[in-house]
Amino acid sequence: MINIIVLIIFLTLTSKVFSHQPVMDMAPRWNDGYGVQTRIEHANSENKVWLEGVYTFKPMVRMTLKIPTIDGELDDAIIALPLKKYFNDKAFTSNWSITPSIRMPTGGGADWDAGLSLSYSSESSDIYQLYDLYALDDVIGLDINVGAVQASGEGSSWFALWDVSAQDSNTGQRILTGPVLVYFDYNFIIRAEYKFSALDNDRAWKGDYVSFGIGMVF
Amino acid sequence: MLKIITAVALWYALVSHSVFANNYMVEVHGIVCEFCSLGVAKNIRRLSFIDSNQFDNGVKVDINNQTVFIGVRDDAVLDQQALFKAIEAGGYSPVKIWQIDLLGEKVEFKQ
Repeated sequence: MINIIVLIIFLTLTSKVFSHQPVMDMAPRWNDGYGVQTRIEHANSENKVWLEGVYTFKPMVRMTLKIPTIDGELDDAIIALPLKKYFNDKAFTSNWSITPSIRMPTGGGADWDAGLSLSYSSESSDIYQLYDLYALDDVIGLDINVGAVQASGEGSSWFALWDVSAQDSNTGQRILTGPVLVYFDYNFIIRAEYKFSALDNDRAWKGDYVSFGIGMVF
Repeated sequence: MLKIITAVALWYALVSHSVFANNYMVEVHGIVCEFCSLGVAKNIRRLSFIDSNQFDNGVKVDINNQTVFIGVRDDAVLDQQALFKAIEAGGYSPVKIWQIDLLGEKVEFKQ
């Protein structure tokens, strides 16, 4: 039961949802694995702190919970159930995921929103890539992460990725893009990301996006 | 005389204890990231036949060659089915096992 602490994870964005991002995608992929993460992001002239967790029942089934706060006030939390199918080849691993999610009105509203994402990711010893098509409430988006992996062979790795995040909603369309740096050491992870607007027709969005997170998996 | 004693001792060691150390190497498909494979090592360490005095608590993951090295206790026998199950529960695909002899040569292991 202790193992069933729900945990806290990684990367999402603003008040909209990016269903999951690399770290959540990569680990924990083992049965009874779990992880927690806290992340601070700055976007739209406000700072949001996320407390995020993941529990992996078995490699095919995970559960994630993301709890945001703005200036200490609880915002709407998101619970999701990533369902994965892995394919392992010699020095290559990939997976397809379907992730249903629910955004709960923990921030004081009354609406419950349903979401769904379809994603594919793969990793070799030197390349990582993730494609995530998602929908939540009135939002539809595509998130792409592609980049290089540099593993030390002694337990630590660097990921230098480029992110493209496209989103369409009732308030307009936008495309954000920028670099993502991820560092792992044993079970500890740091992730930093910066994105600027490549296209901004979204009246609910302004400026750049910055995020910094730390987490652990067990 | 010394040569004879050495030869007898070596012969006795080989015959009575086998030429194999209790070290094994497992080919595991897909294992390219140490962070992602923590669960494989974690699951293997739980197996009763693992010798925690060898490698890193009994296990070493080599992501450059997609292999996992394990040490087995002298008084135990490797259980291939349990080992493969532990690796699969870690999210990866075990393929083949080799036993590593005292000279470092590997011989395919079949149970």
